[in-house]
Order: sequence, then structure tokens, then C-alpha cells
Amino acid sequence: MSTLNRRQFLRQLGVSSAALPFLAGLPSLMGASTPQRRQRVIIMFSPNGTLPNEFWPEAADELVLKPIMEPLNPFKDRTLVINGICNKIRGDGDNHMRGMSCLLTANELLPGNIRGGGGTPAGWASSISIDQEIKNFLQGQKDMRTRFGSLEFGVAVPDRADPWTRMSYAGANQPVAPIDNPYQMFGKMYGRMKDRDDLASVLDDVREDLTRVSAKLSARDKALLDQHVTIVRNLEQDLKHSDKDAKMAHPMPELDPSVELVNDNTPQISRMQIDLLVNSLANDMTRIATLQYMRSVGQAQMRWLGISEGHHSLSHEPDTNQDSYAKLKKINTWFAGELAYLAKRLAETPEPAGEGSMLDHTLIVWTNELGKGNTHALDNIPCVMIGGAPGFKMGRSVKLEKTPHNRLWLTVAHAMGHTKLDTFGKADLCAGGPLSLA
Amino acid sequence: MGGFLLGGPIAGLAAERNHKTEKTYDLPTGEARTGAAIYQKMCADCHGDKGQGVKDEYDEPLHGNRPLQSLVKRIARTMPDDNVGACVGDDASKVAAYIYESFYSPKAQARLNPPEFDLSRLTISQYRTSVADLVGRFRPGFDRALGPQHGLKAHYSGLQLEKPADPAATADAKPADSKPLTKKEDKKRPRVQFDRVDSQVDFHFAAASPDPEKMEPEEFSVRWEGSIIAEETGTYEFIVKSENGVRLAVNDMKNLLVDAWVSSGPDVREEKRTVFLLGGRAYPISLEFFKFKDKTASIELLWKTPHGVVEKIPQQFLSPERLRETMIVKTTFPADDRSVGYERGTGVSKEWDAATTDAAIEVAEHVDAHLDELTTTKSSDPNRVDRLKQFARKFAEIAFRRPLSDEDYRHFIGHQFEVAKTPEIAVKRAVLYTLKSPRFLYPEIPKAGKPDGYDIAERLALSLWDSLPDIPLLRAAAEGKLQTHDQIVAQANRMMADPRTKAKMHGFFHYWLELERAEGIQKDPKSFPEFDAQVLADLRTSLFLFLDQVVWSDKSDYRELLQANYLLLNERLAKLYDKSVSGEGFQRVEFDPNRRSGVVTHPYLLAAFASSKQTSPIHRGVFLTRTIVGMTLKPPPMAVAFEDAKFDSHLTMREKITELTKNTNCMGCHGTINPLGFSLENYDAIGRWRTQDNHKPVNAVTDFSTDEGDKIHLTGARDLVKFAAETPSGHRAFIHLLFQYAVKQEVNVYGPDELENLRQAFTSSGFNIRKLLSDIAVTAAMRGMPEPEAKVAQESKPSTAPKPL
Repeated sequence: MSTLNRRQFLRQLGVSSAALPFLAGLPSLMGASTPQRRQRVIIMFSPNGTLPNEFWPEAADELVLKPIMEPLNPFKDRTLVINGICNKIRGDGDNHMRGMSCLLTANELLPGNIRGGGGTPAGWASSISIDQEIKNFLQGQKDMRTRFGSLEFGVAVPDRADPWTRMSYAGANQPVAPIDNPYQMFGKMYGRMKDRDDLASVLDDVREDLTRVSAKLSARDKALLDQHVTIVRNLEQDLKHSDKDAKMAHPMPELDPSVELVNDNTPQISRMQIDLLVNSLANDMTRIATLQYMRSVGQAQMRWLGISEGHHSLSHEPDTNQDSYAKLKKINTWFAGELAYLAKRLAETPEPAGEGSMLDHTLIVWTNELGKGNTHALDNIPCVMIGGAPGFKMGRSVKLEKTPHNRLWLTVAHAMGHTKLDTFGKADLCAGGPLSLA
Repeated sequence: MGGFLLGGPIAGLAAERNHKTEKTYDLPTGEARTGAAIYQKMCADCHGDKGQGVKDEYDEPLHGNRPLQSLVKRIARTMPDDNVGACVGDDASKVAAYIYESFYSPKAQARLNPPEFDLSRLTISQYRTSVADLVGRFRPGFDRALGPQHGLKAHYSGLQLEKPADPAATADAKPADSKPLTKKEDKKRPRVQFDRVDSQVDFHFAAASPDPEKMEPEEFSVRWEGSIIAEETGTYEFIVKSENGVRLAVNDMKNLLVDAWVSSGPDVREEKRTVFLLGGRAYPISLEFFKFKDKTASIELLWKTPHGVVEKIPQQFLSPERLRETMIVKTTFPADDRSVGYERGTGVSKEWDAATTDAAIEVAEHVDAHLDELTTTKSSDPNRVDRLKQFARKFAEIAFRRPLSDEDYRHFIGHQFEVAKTPEIAVKRAVLYTLKSPRFLYPEIPKAGKPDGYDIAERLALSLWDSLPDIPLLRAAAEGKLQTHDQIVAQANRMMADPRTKAKMHGFFHYWLELERAEGIQKDPKSFPEFDAQVLADLRTSLFLFLDQVVWSDKSDYRELLQANYLLLNERLAKLYDKSVSGEGFQRVEFDPNRRSGVVTHPYLLAAFASSKQTSPIHRGVFLTRTIVGMTLKPPPMAVAFEDAKFDSHLTMREKITELTKNTNCMGCHGTINPLGFSLENYDAIGRWRTQDNHKPVNAVTDFSTDEGDKIHLTGARDLVKFAAETPSGHRAFIHLLFQYAVKQEVNVYGPDELENLRQAFTSSGFNIRKLLSDIAVTAAMRGMPEPEAKVAQESKPSTAPKPL
């Protein structure tokens, strides 16, 4: 099928012409003669802080990973660990609320009616988050625009909107909800194609039914039903051939349709979401994504790790409780493992319209709401970068002096080309501008 | 000119000859001068040799409802149109008779083109209603009637007020900036709770609590629950105004319509969301509200109905009983064919097929998401798979409106359970197949032989409800109790009481009174400053309340629709229409019978058939002619726009229209249209009574000629309505429109005498509209029943039974 026919076909299927995932990234369509350098950013979130002793490597030019980050060993020459990033935002809300809803905005919360475990009640964030800020910048550049601008993925996020479940904000009072249902995300990305298998299995029966019924009708009535049969047959054919275009660089992923969206299936769902995330980047549907595991104060019972206590409860046990300590270590290692899978998928996917792998052109930032769970520390928040971006020298660990995380996000924004951004979030915490990490 | 100097009495004809053109027709004389011969020479050039019309001459085929005499007069007066006066007297009589018998009359047309039953698919509204009732079948009680109480159930919850500090101890009172209580500490405080029914949600607590004597003002919550009643199908906008935390769910209780739980600041926020609802039903609603340390607290729940304005949801549309969710298909369909005036499901297109696919997927996903609830099983049940299979089968049987043979079940549904990865996926696919199958989409598939009980059931459900048969209907069909005329009438009467019939009748009113014209009318603000969107919405309510009241009263008398001398007005409308009403709601206000007469003088209609500043006697006249008096009108040969500026500025509207249509060609129809339109000239562009138009007295006195040639003198609306309410052609028009709307087929499909049978029954019942609707539904249901049974049915009727096809 030629590319033009595909466009028609997708329109016919009700997927609008804006939804050309397979084509959008191909250089021949863009008219660009040289491959475009695409830079991407993924921000991954996990809750309840970490265990500093098991996490932070020694500051060195060669990375020696501690136990929690063990799964990331295959990528250690492309990993940059930054110790000393601090969330200096105070004001309304407790540490968890500010840890989550000020994480990407680096600005205070609005006063409001939501009460945390302490402190004054708060509302939503008071300004835009860094992912949305960069999204707006890219969407404003003709050659960097993508269909979605940004995609917000979630894994096991509770179905309510409050300052603990939202980290992305389009602006003051405008939380952006992550999609934690892979089928829903698939539907967003591919429209009705998600139902292809189900439809294919029934359209044959429908056509048979139509033919049976029309056989008994008068000539006039039969003409109506014959028309109907033709339309159904065309739909069947379109669905059958939808995947066969050799020009398609990144085919629509196959999703197992039977995965129940329950807690115990979280590992499987996590992998489905990561696959979809990689697919969305490969087809240039977006260049910014967030991947949010659970939520601030997440109480996930990670039975797949043999743990039945809630994560948050464990995180409040004293360090001396060896049982909880071991479990927290396991939990955080699991998160690192998911990060490793994401990095692996990017590393093994060639960069479309470019050189090297997708990982070479993607900066993954793994962060957390807190530095440590049982102290609610907002200092030394986990910050692990994997991949590649302009201005980052990878394969080492650095220790900074209590640096406000505003500057971290400034650095990421500049790496994405948004170099006119002088301050981000609370301006007086931006002294010094972007960090020098090259 | 030789032709007409011979032959029969031709007195005075020479005087009528059109002196402008001289034309020879070369007609035979004596016995050879038949109607056919005259037609061939004088008419066929423009009208075609079989009256089919000739392109660029006269496109319309020659057929209509005028009686023979009317045709004779019309021909003598206006034909041939390039030589008026050339065919008169005996010639006119002969050629008229020829035309009438050969192709003009309905009987001739029925003979030439016997009408066939049109195979149709579900219309959009039939699709939605059917799906809502189909899924509803698995939510027992979903369509039960609500009790009479109005308002929402409210549960208030807060903390007990702490005892006021001992005045002697003020010195030891806690410092003002003491640490706020933690959640744990709060939990220990004693609670205060109470329940009641609130008539509306409109509270401004300021800094206090709902119960200042007992309840702490700093933090409290309220939950309102129940159902909202939607009368009309369309998009509803729900609005919640509050500075505190709110959550609203309407119909879909799992996915919040408004989630504004987090408040950020002291200003009142307005959250607006829309939802599409089917009319004539009620939907669950839940509104949660909480205050935590905000300075003030308030909450208002408002809505905007499809034709309304923003208002606090009135008490009468709220019920404290909570119904179950209704599955409403959100997919948009391409518009149904309306080429014959009413919506039909004839014709399929790629877009329509795509819409049915999307809708089927929507329903399959809804079923999947609510599987445990709809199948009353849990995934851990040992007989889960069997229950799912039963569900899938029942779903198909209800959708197909009859039991599924074992073979068909195995082939289409059982098979899915064998090949699909999980039984849940099999259910999803079974639902997809069912809703894409022609057995669902084409409700009446023609077949040979007598209709069985299930055919009768599905026809009744379609004509009265635009939906699927309900349980009592299916049971009657299964037990063989849906065969005789009496049995069928009994079911129709039972179904009449269902809200779905009322909802279908609302659609009929819309169609009958051409209410589309009233959509978004704007009047000149200088001439009618008080006529705003609120007035328009109120007028619509006034009209519908009136129509409902009459149709659902004991007598259900059609004549009252035309002759009632009262209007239902609220305070606002009363002021505008020169009356006074005090108190809430719409009340019956009597008028001088010469000033108000039923729908024809209802301001909503009068305003719709008017321009922004002036009346439109032509639009009013056409409506009255076709719909109320029941005479046929062809479309105008040339559309002529009314341009006010072209007329002498001192003329009244009547004078302008008379001037515009004075040409003989126009007067063919305008001779009828104008008198009827002028009789309403006492009502201005917003339906108010007036005696002056453009500083001259209004003249609403006219003479109007009926088809039979009688002259009726009209002094205004009351005379017109008196005539229309008693004239058989008016009844025929009403019956015809109701038939088409309800059954979506031409009435002649049910026999050339059917319309007349219905009219006679209508007359003997005292013009009872509900009985008419029942007769129509029963007629449609009994199509194809063999003569003996049909004859039994006709015992009570004086005329012959409808012939089976």
C-alpha cells in the first residue's frame, strides 16, 4: 500500500489524518534532506523516598552502583547520578504533598482545602510543571512539533485527583492526569485499531448473517442489504491489511487483551506501559513523557515481590527494623529494574531517521518525592539520569551542595533546546541558572 | 380557435379568453372530444403524457388530494397557464375527470404504484433507545417509576461544636496560632450527622456550619443523592458553583462528571460539564461537598437543559430515589434521511457503518467494564463461564427481539467461547456481533407468511416506544397470547402508560408543529426587548406542558389542542402577554376565546412563524393549510423572497403580502394560503395580541374557500380553528402525520382505505388522540394477518378491513 492510500485508509477508519503514527517520523514525508536530531526526555517517578545507604554511589568519575541500582549495571556508562538535589519549596501542604506536586513545578502549592499529615491545608500547584513547559516550547517549534506534545503514563495510579496523585500541571490549578490503563493509552495512540482483533473475529459472522437475511428479500430490499455487505467486507479487508506496509518502521504493538487491571498484575502492566511509551517515542507521537508509578504516599502491596505490607507503611519503619529495611530495598530495586527495562528497550531500538539507538537521544530522569521515607526528607532527592543529551557527561556520579531542584529542571530544559528559559518555578531558587554537568 | 366554439354550453367563454396569446389546439369535435384527447393536446406538453411532469416545463407529477370539483375549477381558472381561459366548461370537466381517474387521485396512484413496505434500519433515536433498554434489562429496576417525592436525599456530616470556653478561663485560652489538629486527633472528636431531603441544592453557609447550634463550622461535608429527571433528549450542561471541594457524578457513577475536590483559594469556582441524556428517563446523581478550613462555604447545583437557560435545578426534576445507570451511546451517527419529512432509516453508508461499529465497541466496553454487575457473577464463581454464556445468549435474544435457535447460538456465540482467549473476551465479541448483526439493525425483516407473536411484539415496541419489546410483550409472544386483535389492543393500551410513549409523543409534537423553526429564534431587541432566551425557554415549556396535559388527560381530545382558550403561563410570561400570575410554576390562565385558541395561537408557534421584527402570514398560512386544515400544497414554482424594502413603507403586512402574491399563477395556492395567514395578523412577531400594524388597524377578516367549494368567512383565529377542528381533511392530516411519525411507513402500505378507517374511528371516539395512537400501533402490528382475523378486528368498524399485502 502506498503511503497515500494509508492516509485515506486511516481516515476511513475514523483515525483522523492527524493520527499518522507510522508516517510522521519518516524523513521522506518531512521533506528534510538531513536526518533531524531528535532529543527526548522521560521523567520517571517512584514514591516514598529511598534507602540512602543502599542507593547513593560514591561521587566518582567511574560509576560503582550500590545494591538498589544493580539492575542498571548494563547501562552504567550512560548513567549520571546526581546527589544533593533538594526540594526547597515550603509553604502550604505537608512534605508528601509538596514532594509530589512541587516536584516538577518547583513552586509552592496554592492554599486550599486538602489536609495532609501535617502542615496547612493546600490546593493544587501554582504553576506549570517542567514536562509541560518543555512540551509547550517544542510544540511552538515547527520542526519539533509532535501529535501529542507529551504523554503521561501511569502504573497503578489510584483513580482520584488530589495533590498526591498528580505531578504534571499545565498551569496553576490545572493538573494533568496520567493514564494508567494500557488499553486506554493504546486507544489514545491508535484509535479504533485497538479493536482490530475483536472486530476481525466477528465481521465474518456479520457478513454471513447479512447474506442469509438478504437471500429471502425482494430485489429492492436486497439491494439495500447488498450495499451493507459490501461496506462490511471493505472494513474487513482494511483491517486485515492494516499492518502489512513494509514502510512502517514501528508497527503497532500487540497488546495481550486479557490482562486484568489489578494490583497483582502490576509488573505485567508496567511492561505494557513501557512498551507503549517506547512505541510512542519511536513513532514520534511525542518527545516528552512521564512515567508515574503509583502516587505519593503509595501503599502498594507488592505481592509479586513476596511483600504484603503497604509500601508507605514500610517506609515509615525505623532503619533498625531489618525486615522492613530488606523489603524497602527489594521494592526500590524493583523500580530500578523497571527503569532498566525501559533503558533496554530504548537501547535496542534504532533511532529512526538518525544514528545510533533511541537511548542515545533520550534522557531518562528517575526521581522521587522524598529523599528518605521515614524522615520525610526533602533533601538529596534521588536523581538518576540514563541515556544521552547535550550538556550531560554520563558514566559518573556527582555530589552537589544542597542545590534547589529548580536548577535541575532548568538544565533539562536547556538540554531540550529551551535555552531562553532563565528561571523555572520559584525564581529566587534559580540563582546560578542551569547546572554545569557536561 | 376553432375547437371550443363547438361542443356544449360555452356561455361567457369568449369573455374569458386570454387575449394576449392566440393558440391553436386542433381538438376533435363531438364524441371524439374526450378528456384524454383534450389532455393530449392542451396539457401533455407541460405535464407529460402520463402526468409525470416534463423537465423545464413543469417538473412535479400530477397527483394530489383535491376532490374532482376542485380540480375542475382550478383548471378552468388557471390552465393552460400560457393561455388561461382556453379550457373551461365541459372541456374542463372532461379533462379533469380524465386526469383524476388516470393518475391524479390517491386511488389512481395506489393502482399505478402500489406502495411497498420499506425495509429500514434503526434510526438514530431508535438505536439509542434500544441499546439503553437492552443493557437496562440486566439492571433490574432501571426503568421503574419514581415516587412522588421531589428533591435530593442529603446526608450532613461534621464534628460536634466544642463547648464554649469558660469566660473565667479566657486568660488560659489557647494561643491563636496553635498547631492545627492532625487527622488522627480529628478522628477522636465526636461527630454530628443528620439526614433530610433538600428541595434544591442552593446553600450559602458563609462562615457557619449547616447546623450552627451543634456542628463545628471549620470542617464538614454533605452528600446529596438521588435521580434527575430529563424530559428531553439532548445535551445537558451541569454546573456546580462552590469555593469548596465538590464531586459530581451523573448517570455514570464510576466516572465523575466534575472532580473539583481540591479547592485552591477562596473564590467561588464554576465547574461546567456536559452530558448527553435520553429524554423521558431519570438518571442517578451524586453530589459530594466538603469544607476544610476555607473561609466561607457555599454550593449551588445548576443545569441547562437542551432548550433551556441556566437555572438551579428545579425541585420537580429531582427525586431522592436513586435509579441505576442507563447505557447511553455517545457515538455520533450521520443524520437519518429526512427527505420525506420524517426521519427514516432507509439507506446505509460507510459513515453509518463506521458509527455502528464504534457504537458496538462502546457498548462492548461498557459491558466489559460492568461485567460482574450485569451478569451477577464474580470472577471467582465456579459457574462463571456458564453464567457468561447465558448472559451472551440472553443479550442476543433481547437484541434480536426473539429467541435464538440452538444452532444459531452455537454458531455465532457459543463458538466465540471456544476460540477466544478468555470467556470475558468471548462476551465482548458476542456483544460486538449482536450489535453489528442485521437482526438487530433491521428490526422488521420482511418474511413470507403470517406474522408471529414476536413480529407483533417488535412492531408494537417500535411504533409506541422506538425501542425493543419489554418482558411482558416477549412473554405474551412466547405464550401465544399475542395473536388476536383484542390481545394486541390490550398490550398497546398497557404500553401507552409507559414513559417511553410520552417521550415518543414529544418527538411527534416537534414534528407535527415544525418546532425546528423555533430553534434559537432571535427577535429584534428594539421591538421586543423583553423577548430573551429565558422567555423562549419558558414558552417552549408552556407549549409542551399544554400538549402533555391534553394528550394524557382522560378525553385526550384533539379538538382541545386546537380550541383551548387558555395558556399555561408563569409569572414572567404572564407579564409579557398581559396577564398576571402569582406564585411558582405554570398556571392555567383563561383568555377571551376570540383571542386565544389552542396551538394555533400559542405564542411559541406564532413567534416561530415570524421574522425577527414582523409577522410572516405566508409561513403561518402554509402551516395552517397543510397541517391544520389538511389541504395539499405543492412547493412554489419559484421561490420569492420577501424584501420589506421593496414595498411602500406605509403598507401593513397584509397589504404587502397581497401585493406580492397577486399574480394569477401565485394565486393558485396563495388564494388559500393568504386568507389563513391573514386571519392570524392580530398576533405580532412574538405572538402578542395587537390591533395595529404599522399604525393602521389590523384586518384579520378574510374569506377562505374549501376544496369542496364552500366559502368560509373568517374573522380571526377562533373561526379558523372552529372550521379546522371539525373538518375531515384536517383530521386526515393529523392522522397521516401521526401515522408516519409512529410507524415510519406510508399509511397506504396498510391498504388504500386505512387512512379513512382510522379517521372514522377517530371521529367516533370523540377525537381521542391516545385511542388513535393505539389504533395506529395495532394496524401496524397486524400487517400481513390473514383476512378472517383482520375481519374480527374490524367488527367495531363500519368500513372494510385493510387488505393484507
